[in-house]
Amino acid sequence: MSDQQKNPFEIVERGPAFSDRLEVAPPPAGGAEDAHPSVAALRERFPDAVRRAEVSAGDQHVVYVDPDANLEVLGFLKTDDAHHYDLLVDVTAVDYGGGLPLQVVYQLWSIPHRRALRVKCELPLERLHIRSVTGLWNSANWLEREVFDLFGITFEGHPDLRRILMPENYAEGHPLRKDFPLRGRFSRAEQTRRALSQDPKDYYIPEELEVGGAPSLPEALRPRTLEDGSEG
Amino acid sequence: MGLNRDAQGEAGAAVTPAGAHGGHRGGLFGGGGPTFLTTKLDFIINWGRRNSLWPMPFGTACCAIEMMASAASDYDLARFGMERMSFSPRQADVLICAGRVPYKLAPVLRRIWDQMSQPKWAVSMGACASSGGIFDAYSMVQGIDTIIPVDVYIPGCPPRPEALIYGLMMIQEKIRGETMDRRVELRAEDPYAAGAPRATPEEIAGLTGPFGNSTHQNQGSGRGPKDRVHRPADRIV
Amino acid sequence: MATKTVEFQVTRNPEAGMDFRPAAGPIAPVEPDLDSEHMLINIGPQHPATHGVLRLVCELDGETVVRVIPHIGYLHSSFEKLGEYRHWNQIVPLTDRMDYLAPLIYNCAFAMAVEKLMGIEVTERCKVVRVICMEMDRIFSHLLWLGTTAIDIGAFTPFLYAFQQREKIYRLHEAYTGARITTSATRIGGMMADLPEGWTDGLKAFLDDFPKTLDEIDRLLTTNAIHIGRTQGVGAISAEDAVNYGFTGPNLRASGVPYDVRKDRPYYDYETYDFEVPIGEHGDCYDRYLVRMEEMRQSVRILRQALERLPDGPINVEDPHISLPDKTDCMSDMESMIHHFKLITDGIPAPPGDCYFPVEGSKGELGMYLVSDGGPKPVRWRVRPPSFVNLSVIPKLAEGHMVSDLIVINASLDIVLGEIDR
Repeated sequence: MSDQQKNPFEIVERGPAFSDRLEVAPPPAGGAEDAHPSVAALRERFPDAVRRAEVSAGDQHVVYVDPDANLEVLGFLKTDDAHHYDLLVDVTAVDYGGGLPLQVVYQLWSIPHRRALRVKCELPLERLHIRSVTGLWNSANWLEREVFDLFGITFEGHPDLRRILMPENYAEGHPLRKDFPLRGRFSRAEQTRRALSQDPKDYYIPEELEVGGAPSLPEALRPRTLEDGSEG
Repeated sequence: MGLNRDAQGEAGAAVTPAGAHGGHRGGLFGGGGPTFLTTKLDFIINWGRRNSLWPMPFGTACCAIEMMASAASDYDLARFGMERMSFSPRQADVLICAGRVPYKLAPVLRRIWDQMSQPKWAVSMGACASSGGIFDAYSMVQGIDTIIPVDVYIPGCPPRPEALIYGLMMIQEKIRGETMDRRVELRAEDPYAAGAPRATPEEIAGLTGPFGNSTHQNQGSGRGPKDRVHRPADRIV
Repeated sequence: MATKTVEFQVTRNPEAGMDFRPAAGPIAPVEPDLDSEHMLINIGPQHPATHGVLRLVCELDGETVVRVIPHIGYLHSSFEKLGEYRHWNQIVPLTDRMDYLAPLIYNCAFAMAVEKLMGIEVTERCKVVRVICMEMDRIFSHLLWLGTTAIDIGAFTPFLYAFQQREKIYRLHEAYTGARITTSATRIGGMMADLPEGWTDGLKAFLDDFPKTLDEIDRLLTTNAIHIGRTQGVGAISAEDAVNYGFTGPNLRASGVPYDVRKDRPYYDYETYDFEVPIGEHGDCYDRYLVRMEEMRQSVRILRQALERLPDGPINVEDPHISLPDKTDCMSDMESMIHHFKLITDGIPAPPGDCYFPVEGSKGELGMYLVSDGGPKPVRWRVRPPSFVNLSVIPKLAEGHMVSDLIVINASLDIVLGEIDR
């Protein structure tokens, strides 16, 4: 309650939160526990890659993995018969704000063993890229695109890394980052103007425009494609 | 629920004095005002129009489900001559925008409106289409009246089928008051305005500012600062 | 695990080949040396057959689909960002606007995830009431799928039949929550209110009446030659691929994988209910249809059992830091008023940590992933959207089929765009 008794205008002037400065307390680490068979196996097999493990919400096991080793660890978890996490339920990311690293979260489920595991990779803000797991699970395709769109994390080796929910030429950044204001960076009038002034060519991706024997892509359309979309 | 359209002030007046309007001033007999023949003709034309409205259902979210429920047997829109849901804008009379409209969908909505031929009316169904509703966030259009002219706003989240039917009856009521005498004024359309927002930037700023509960949307959780408020001044323009 | 293979009442389409792709018809395929060009066709985002504002860009060779590129995001309403600005209880109204075909499942899933994060055990009555809500909305959602899919295939009557039954569930929704679609029925630690008097009788009447209508629709569609011709062998996917592509729910079970969250990761004593999980074997549109039809019957079974075991007692947990006090108490009792005020203004703080809680939604595994840093609002609220992942398979399913089959495949996946785009 004490916060609310301060001068409200002071807070207005402070503006949105910062991604590069520490304002909130870091998330506390839970008690590490190796009761989960896959966690124990990972510790044994990848002693360098497994940073820590914890139990969350009572019985949910979380493993923190070195982001450089994500493909090896997840590949082991998928293909090894003793673990066999054949269903990649979800790929998402978490931004705590305050300059803390972004977390990429993989939710795994093994249909034959009926076991769940959560694997997290922490990416520092200055190095937001990680290898894609689309080679292991095809379900990662759209999920990684969504993380790329909303958080700006690049997935190396992804076959088709484009924005998926926001328009391709969205220029305001990555909405789910903590430094992104709720109502967007532009004014409503500017947002409306941008939305309505889209060229019809913005609605198609370059591969589509090549269908039907179209000669080659106009030069003006090229900058929209993959590499440039990252900080669009 | 209210009738509102910038271009026309006095909906519902069947007979309007001659000379009050520029544009068309014809009449079969007499000098330019409405006459017995034109008002009878108006009556017949309006009767035909209002009882054979073909809706163009622009359904996006929850409201579209209520629109489907209105078309199904329990509520039966066909009683009002609206059973032909026209999914082609060229053959439609009334655009029912049911559901929330993000900016990504805004050009689609505008294009469909531009493709509809005159005479045409627009119904904004539900809180999200009318004002953005609870979605005062980065991706949402704050009311479709910034993009297209709207005749009838239906409140509700989502409105019940009865509310939709009442809204459509208000369109019928509005048609009843139209007259040939004001044809140009009512139906004029600037071809160069196609694809552009209906409202000016100043109007949009006025229409879309945070109001009510959305001014209290404080940032973040937990031990972070609890009472950070985003006002329009916070934003980069 | 009690599973049940859907019994086929009809023989398979003899024209379908071994891989369940339609065999070449009497018309010879176009020779490649005709030098025909591929064609680009845009379906949507405003198209009645896309079940929302989905946009499919298809590359066609004649009428055969060479490639489909889905474009989504036309209904992106920033739910997850809005959730970060709201207290746990204030998020509940957002959840039912996400999947407006089965709002109560979403309400319950969110409340259950928060309770898991906070370590709250809800009362027995609340558990059964939530099971009733979720199974009722499974029927609610499958009915809409049934009606709209039938329209896409060319049968209009099932739509009217299905909506008649849906109107009954609308009324049950309204009697309980006051709203037809946007129910917002759950609260952290319980429900918005207890079931109104006589509500269970209304549900019983619905359960007696509904199977008859279902049988009627069944007679109209299951052995209908046109329906079989349009769906059998169309959009088939093998069990292995289905798992790899992240299919869940009825779509996965139609391919023969008996994964059902209610059985595999049981919550709310689902293991004690007597019901079967229907599974198909071919993974095509027809099997998806059969699985959903059977699921509605199983939901009726669960509902009957739940109504029987519905215990008396309080519906909200009796902890003043979680549940709102009675309104009468607020007006007369100082302590209740303080609790009410603190709950409304401060919210309920959650312990730091994260929690992933899956339930079996009507469209597949619906997961709520919550991250808390100890405050009354989430740091991150993530919904694992079942139809988002299911839809991402459509390029693979539609490849090589006709354009008209693409519409049927899209319909058979049972997507809801509000949840795909969020």
